[in-house]
Amino acid sequence: MFIQIENLCFKYQNSSENTIDCFNLAIDQGEIISILGESGSGKSTVLRLLCGLETPTCGTIKINEHTMTDDRHFVLPERRGIGMVFQDYALFPHMTVAENIQFGLKGHGRKAKRERTEEVLELVNMTSLMKRYPHELSGGQQQRVALARALAPKPALLLLDEPFSNLDADLQIKIRGELKDIIKKTGTTSIFVTHDREDARAIADRIITMRDGAAYDWESICTLREEEQQQQPKLVKVKG
Amino acid sequence: MKLFRKLPGYMNAWTLLTMIIVVLILLPNITILISFFTEEAENWAHIQEFILPNLIKNTSLLIIFTGFLAIMIGTSLAWLVSAYDFPFKNFFKWGLILPLAIPPYIAGYTYNGILNYTGVIQKTLRNTWGIEVNQKYFDILNLPGAVFIFTLFLFPYVFMITRGFLQNQSASLVENARLLGRGPLSIFFRVVLPISRGAIVGGGSLVLLEVLNDYGVVQYFGVPTFSTAIFQTWFGMGDLNAAIKLSATLMFIVFFILVLEKFLRGRKKYSYTTTKVRPLKPIKLTKRKAWTAFSYCAIIFALGFLIPFIQLIAWMFLTFEKMMSSTFIELVWNSLFVSLVGAAMITVFAVIIANFARMHQSFISKAPARVTILGYSIPGAVIAVGISTVFIEIDNLLFNFYEMAGLDASLFISTSLFMLISAYVIRFLAVGFNSIEAGFDKVGNKFTEASRMLGLNVTKTFFKVDLLMIKGPLISGFILAFIEIIKELPLTLILRPFNFDTLSTKAYQYASDEQIHEASLASIIIVVVSAIAIYIFHKVLEKEPR
Repeated sequence: MFIQIENLCFKYQNSSENTIDCFNLAIDQGEIISILGESGSGKSTVLRLLCGLETPTCGTIKINEHTMTDDRHFVLPERRGIGMVFQDYALFPHMTVAENIQFGLKGHGRKAKRERTEEVLELVNMTSLMKRYPHELSGGQQQRVALARALAPKPALLLLDEPFSNLDADLQIKIRGELKDIIKKTGTTSIFVTHDREDARAIADRIITMRDGAAYDWESICTLREEEQQQQPKLVKVKG
Repeated sequence: MKLFRKLPGYMNAWTLLTMIIVVLILLPNITILISFFTEEAENWAHIQEFILPNLIKNTSLLIIFTGFLAIMIGTSLAWLVSAYDFPFKNFFKWGLILPLAIPPYIAGYTYNGILNYTGVIQKTLRNTWGIEVNQKYFDILNLPGAVFIFTLFLFPYVFMITRGFLQNQSASLVENARLLGRGPLSIFFRVVLPISRGAIVGGGSLVLLEVLNDYGVVQYFGVPTFSTAIFQTWFGMGDLNAAIKLSATLMFIVFFILVLEKFLRGRKKYSYTTTKVRPLKPIKLTKRKAWTAFSYCAIIFALGFLIPFIQLIAWMFLTFEKMMSSTFIELVWNSLFVSLVGAAMITVFAVIIANFARMHQSFISKAPARVTILGYSIPGAVIAVGISTVFIEIDNLLFNFYEMAGLDASLFISTSLFMLISAYVIRFLAVGFNSIEAGFDKVGNKFTEASRMLGLNVTKTFFKVDLLMIKGPLISGFILAFIEIIKELPLTLILRPFNFDTLSTKAYQYASDEQIHEASLASIIIVVVSAIAIYIFHKVLEKEPR
């Protein structure tokens, strides 16, 4: 398995219960996983634990046979080689699109930097706007830049935290198709978190649901859907 | 096991530097507290019996009356300016902060100069109308006089904080109260006062801490308090241990006030806050009411800024040629030098602590932030006692080293500027810290996290992202610290090296030598520099709608 998460537990300082409770997940290389769950189910926390922005209380995380976290190790987020697209994109407002993308390309030569920037910008179809500042872009454009920035250093794992929540509905449908194509083109193993079933189904190879801080797989979500359908009364059209 | 997981996150230069700074700040204060219980002082019994009761009485009276009046004036003005439209309102919004530009000790001797026998009022009465007044009514060198000065020149703390709160946070509550048919007075007492309790208490405690810190006013006005007693036992009686005991007693009073503040604020630390900031829409006052509101603001503004300012200018013209000399230039240079170096150090330290605090959400990271605030609460005289005790100790330890290095002074660093500047850093670190912390809060952690996900470590991220995003708060923190230092009196008086004078110490010396006119030039420079900074801040703050 490319990514191995075992018995992951985590508790926020001011809460009494574990937010993440014995979370297990194994992911193949190149797979796109979507974590589906209601708000507060701890799905964003899983991402923050994976990339090292939070420290789990117990459990192990391995990426490509390298241990990221266990009882004796903790790899700092900047050393993990994980890319992340934040919910609000977090594009640096004081840098242009190109500068934002080059930010993660330290250690590359100037020429290599420029080439890689052009490459990822082409990938997301934004080459013409590389001199713009983030506030001069639309929501969808910002999103694509954020994706390009995360992909530029060729991360082993790409995390996306509610990537469509800031987009309006039309754009959302258009972009999620694009997103899947782009990620598949690069072959990057990805996890993305959402509360929207349609998003999850459109993009993911496999869907995980979260309940009480633990992961359940696709089958259980299907039964869940059936349960819900049974509970919901049919909508009756109101006569005018 | 958990330690191993947490450790890598803490292993960096920021943690180390923060811990060093915290120790530096705590050392003098802890020294005082420990010495209070261990050291014997020959005069302590005498002080306890004959001086201490009087000190406590004066201090309590000053605190109670100043606190009450400053809160009344500050809150009422804040409400007027936020909720109503009347002539010159936009000017008063920042004009009423200007009294802070005049340090109370300068205000104190200026008012005495205006009111005494040779002052402009009595002279005019005598020479124009031939009226001789009873001196009793014009003597302000007493406790009520000190309360008058403190109230007028410290109330802006309450005004500023309360106005900021009312303007942004109170709109929906106040408008609801209006819709429910409440009159203006009822809204003020039933709604405005209760919801702004946190802001009022916060501003009020700043006023009280300033009163406790003051040395200039109470010394000049002959109202013995802890600050003056510490000076007297230390330099008059030469009894450092008694001074330490007095300092510790004063520290206990400060702790009491801080605890009281926490208690009064209760669980609602920031009172009522909403995330939706909506400005309160002011009501236009009718003619008579508008002029009443205007007059109230104008009277306070005149008393708190205009009158003493004009008087200082007038005196400055009388003495300008006499005062303007190379020694005076040196004073200005000294003041600028210590203020710039002090403010720069404060900014750097504050950034380090603020950055450390936001990187980790735990007790260890919150504690340093609280420690910086502690320094700001401790009166200057106490810090002076603590820091010179520590520095003399260090000099004793290093005595052999000095001899080897061929330095003949046995007290090397405790007579150097280094000691003074360290004291400034301890006392005013909170000023820089608050500004920078607020800046970090506004920016949030997202950009830092994004940068770390892109492979930059904490320190690189700091220089390439964080620092650029808090440029504004960084500059304002620097300027605020600069002003505090340039105005500072008690620390500078005690800790300055021999023959080293700044604008504030010289102004104070002239004034206490009954050379009030000569003190004006130095005073006016302090006042003008501070006033300009206040003006700039107000304009910057107003422009930012967020």
